[in-house]
Amino acid sequence: MRDSVKLSRFFGAGQGGCGLFDEIYRNIIYQDRWLYLLKGLWVTVEVTFFAILLGTILGMVLALMRISNFKLFRIRILEKISSFYITIIRGTPLMVQLLIIYFVVFASVDIDKVIVAVIAFGLNSAAYVAEIIRGGILSVDKGQAEAGRSLGLSYTQTMRHIVMPQAIKNALPAYTSEFIVLIKETAIVGYIALEDLTKVGDTIRSRTFSALVPLLTVALIYLLLTGVLAKLFMRLERRLRRSDNR
Amino acid sequence: MITVKHLSKEFDGQLAVDDVSMEINKGDKIVVVGPSGSGKSTFLRCLNLLEVPTGGEIFFEGQRITDPKTDINEVRSKMGMVFQQFNLFPHLTVLGNITLAPVRLKRQTKQKAEETANRLLDRVGLTDKRDAYPAQLSGGQKQRIAIVRALAMNPDVMLFDEPTSALDPEMVGEVLDVMRELAEEGLTMVVVTHEMGFAKQVGTRVTFMDEGRIKEEASPEEFFSNPKHPRLKDFLSKVLNA
Repeated sequence: MRDSVKLSRFFGAGQGGCGLFDEIYRNIIYQDRWLYLLKGLWVTVEVTFFAILLGTILGMVLALMRISNFKLFRIRILEKISSFYITIIRGTPLMVQLLIIYFVVFASVDIDKVIVAVIAFGLNSAAYVAEIIRGGILSVDKGQAEAGRSLGLSYTQTMRHIVMPQAIKNALPAYTSEFIVLIKETAIVGYIALEDLTKVGDTIRSRTFSALVPLLTVALIYLLLTGVLAKLFMRLERRLRRSDNR
Repeated sequence: MITVKHLSKEFDGQLAVDDVSMEINKGDKIVVVGPSGSGKSTFLRCLNLLEVPTGGEIFFEGQRITDPKTDINEVRSKMGMVFQQFNLFPHLTVLGNITLAPVRLKRQTKQKAEETANRLLDRVGLTDKRDAYPAQLSGGQKQRIAIVRALAMNPDVMLFDEPTSALDPEMVGEVLDVMRELAEEGLTMVVVTHEMGFAKQVGTRVTFMDEGRIKEEASPEEFFSNPKHPRLKDFLSKVLNA
């Protein structure tokens, strides 16, 4: 504590150590709390990254199932399964899904909580990504697929080389939003006692009894993270739109 | 080459094509005319099964392609199609558009396909556009590229679905010129169009469709100078005196 007083004097903060710089010192620098924050940030990034990866792959599969005409006993079985999955995921709170996966599905399994979080957020994100991609596919003119098929390309080849590249380009803005939403939504992993950025910020708050600096710092880090991501995707979007230029 | 027997296509209880039979031989240039909604485009799209017929049979080079067991991709690769709305792939360059199918279907190596593309582009006078994207082309240029894209598969027959209907009047000529040249080279063609001049000049047979049926089929001279069906007489008097 003596150190903090010294430092606050140095910065010209008032007596008793209640100036802003003293606050910053106590909440971020003292006891290497910045390292603790960094660890939390790493968990957030880790969970988000693998969850969006899982969500994108599974979402792509769900989207293709949703538009497939494959029939078993005259029922569009793949479409039905996909629709059912999306209805369940979209119709229940993410938090409840996370708790079910942790306390019910993996109740008796000793498993890294990060993996539990990745599975929960990935499964959730897949439903939204599926709808985003389906929207992208529907936005591609029907004539594109017809032109592909008329050349003798198979359904799969037409999807892969003609429809999907255009669908993904059209879906990118909505996909970026989903990515950003996912980053922020991982803030609830504290409920399964995983120490992500938010949880760490809150823990610091409860130790130092000051809320402003730790919570504002956490907010700022999220803002930075989502801001950089939005920029990156904007750049990608511009690159994909090159062929639209006259 | 193509034999159509009692073909029909129903959309929600409406017969778009009603009992149409036709024999298309190698080298034929069949021109199909008729008012909008007469089923002529649907008929054309049935030929390569972009529309699945609800009745009748289609034979292509001896094979019954309406048989569900037919490898339809294989059949389509021998039938080129040109659309009213061009349907070029906007995310690919002109060269990419032309070489996609031959390369993906392993008909040609990439290098060989590009050589073919260059040769065909030269023929339609668009060599300088090979690296352009479709958005940078005029309508007439787009349609000429679309024709080249279909030709790159070296098809046995070309199907044209109102190829000039979406074009500005000044660009119609450049597309028709290309089609005329192809006809002169002996390519088998089925053309749905409103261009009566083209029908008269290029067609070996002209067909009039109305209400999903073929109402008259004749040589171009006969068709235009001596129409028999009252509906055709009425149609011709309207189009030719417009």
